[in-house]
Amino acid sequence: MAALAAVAAVMVVTLLIGLRGVAAMRTTSDFLVASRRVSPLLNSAAVSGEYLSAASFLGVAGLVVKDGIGSLWYPVGFTAGYVAMLILVAAPMRRSGALTVPDFAEARLASPGLRRLSALVVLVIGGLYLVPQLRTAGLVLSTVSSAPYWVGVVLSGAAISATLALGGMRAATYVQAFQFCLKLLLFIAPAVWLLALAGPQVRYDAAHPVEFTRFDADTSVSFRVDVTLEVDEATPVRSLRGRESVLGPGDVHVESGQTLVFPEGAPVPGVRGSTPPGGGDWHRPLLNMGDAGHPLLATLAVLTATALGTMGLPHVLMRFHTSPDGRAARRTAAITVALLGVFYMFPGVYGTLGRVLVPELYLSGATDTVVVALPAQVATGWASTLMTTLLTVGAFAAFLATSLGLLLVISGAIAYDLLPGGLLRLRITVLLAAAVLVLLALPAAPLDAGLLVTWGFTVAASTFCPLLVLGIWWPRLTRTGAVSGVLAGLLATLGAIAVALFGPALSGWQAILITQPAPWSVPLAFAAMVLVSLRGRPPSWSRTAMLRLHLDEDPPHTPPGHP
Amino acid sequence: MPNRTRRVAVTSPQTRLAHSRGRARGRWRVPRLDPGNAERAAALYHAQRAQGLVGLALTTALLLGLPLVFTAWPELDGVRLLGVPLSWLMLAVLPYPVMALLAHWQLRRAERVERR
Repeated sequence: MAALAAVAAVMVVTLLIGLRGVAAMRTTSDFLVASRRVSPLLNSAAVSGEYLSAASFLGVAGLVVKDGIGSLWYPVGFTAGYVAMLILVAAPMRRSGALTVPDFAEARLASPGLRRLSALVVLVIGGLYLVPQLRTAGLVLSTVSSAPYWVGVVLSGAAISATLALGGMRAATYVQAFQFCLKLLLFIAPAVWLLALAGPQVRYDAAHPVEFTRFDADTSVSFRVDVTLEVDEATPVRSLRGRESVLGPGDVHVESGQTLVFPEGAPVPGVRGSTPPGGGDWHRPLLNMGDAGHPLLATLAVLTATALGTMGLPHVLMRFHTSPDGRAARRTAAITVALLGVFYMFPGVYGTLGRVLVPELYLSGATDTVVVALPAQVATGWASTLMTTLLTVGAFAAFLATSLGLLLVISGAIAYDLLPGGLLRLRITVLLAAAVLVLLALPAAPLDAGLLVTWGFTVAASTFCPLLVLGIWWPRLTRTGAVSGVLAGLLATLGAIAVALFGPALSGWQAILITQPAPWSVPLAFAAMVLVSLRGRPPSWSRTAMLRLHLDEDPPHTPPGHP
Repeated sequence: MPNRTRRVAVTSPQTRLAHSRGRARGRWRVPRLDPGNAERAAALYHAQRAQGLVGLALTTALLLGLPLVFTAWPELDGVRLLGVPLSWLMLAVLPYPVMALLAHWQLRRAERVERR
């Protein structure tokens, strides 16, 4: 209950900070980019706050428990994205004067068709990213309290839409800078506390992984998703009510919602499609997805998606427009690399401790909750309750911050690009979009949050990344080329996602290239853009439109395409 | 340098009116640069492109190099620093300060080009 009260407090603070911005709110442009008057340090805290989502706060540690140390490549890619952003996109994008990627498409290429296509891509990325945020909100709330899954989903949906509809991006800037500091504190302090309290034996075990084969104590496992257990020898279990039964030997199907208590010393069953934590290549610093093998390919696939996808994430790009000029936008990107680096040194602590203390989460499919499950393992009483509460609050701050930015971008794409309208229209769109996303998130509980978020990155890397990079650095880019490239990237990634979700089960390198299509979809999009552009002729003003983005001084004209 | 915050004023009263009527954004105009600005922009473009390529190459070398090192020398998993495998530290800690330094270095070079 303490955790629930604290989450409620975070939501109230978020709303209050949001309301502070209302007085300054006048026009659509105020609403979207806080009138562009935010300093680099404040803005980079807000960028980091917006960026550190559930996938960072909870997901990475969960992936470490599930797939091994190699999962720490995700945060490396997440951070490297800002280095690429700094080099390639930040300053010219800000100098384009465009508010959003669809705006940029029109300003650089004068193509309303590309504008609408980009707005559609924004909706796809936003959906892939926001649904898992809401899902994890519900999952964590149901873990730390008795509240059902849907309560958390509906509550967080209501909080973000109210904040945005009342305060807009101005509010979001303060909210997110505040939440970055909150998240940093709430992530690092419990990690240090856990390490100190865990004791020398646990710390030693954390650095010396062994396969999880026998339960060390009576262990209760609450299954969050349907799983097929591979049981080698007959295993006695009890239900919560004390009814005894025997599992296997053979394949045993367990439905979600069931809770089984495994006795001390019982052998740990296998889970179809994954390897037990600690065994095999778990300790290798290369990514091992499920049991697909080919760790080098998997690592590079995830790195490509995350590092190149970051620069195409529409909510992050829009955040750069709150900088007063191109130079400030570039500084914002550089400071962001440092801020994220501090945060991302810690998921590994939770992941390695989690493998020692709560390895059974891999059975229940709830590895995402490892961060909030840890305090209860090293302490009892008020200290453990306090730490669980702090971590839950931090996790909730993560959902709220990311969701605010995403919801803004989705509403912006609808109300600004697809069906242009005024401020009232934008506010109504915020509420409607939140309602639709909450409805989508309600049945999404069994989906893997890490995978969904990475798909968002992959779509961004295969569409907006080539559009921005070539738009900024290559004068020969044509309208048709840009449209072909974005379409090719979008269709390729969506096709791969559809096969991964509904297609036949694949294994080995095919499985990696289907679930993480970035290694081929990004080059495909670039190639389509370049080849189609080379076949056509860019308009006479094309070079000027590109050079304009690199001019640093106060230009003698107002940027076209934008009021 | 003129007051930098001034270029921020983006909305004219007419545009607000247009927005409130639900009409579309201002019409697209052909981008123009006067000759002086065009020359400076071209020089900046070439300088930033050359520097950016160096920065990108270094970042790529870091990101591609580490997995290759881990593949080529699995013994790194056995070397321990303060009890923790060296390869874990190289993945969980090392990249962040390196990337922060790389970003800082790139930022300074990019700003130096623009001060010329």
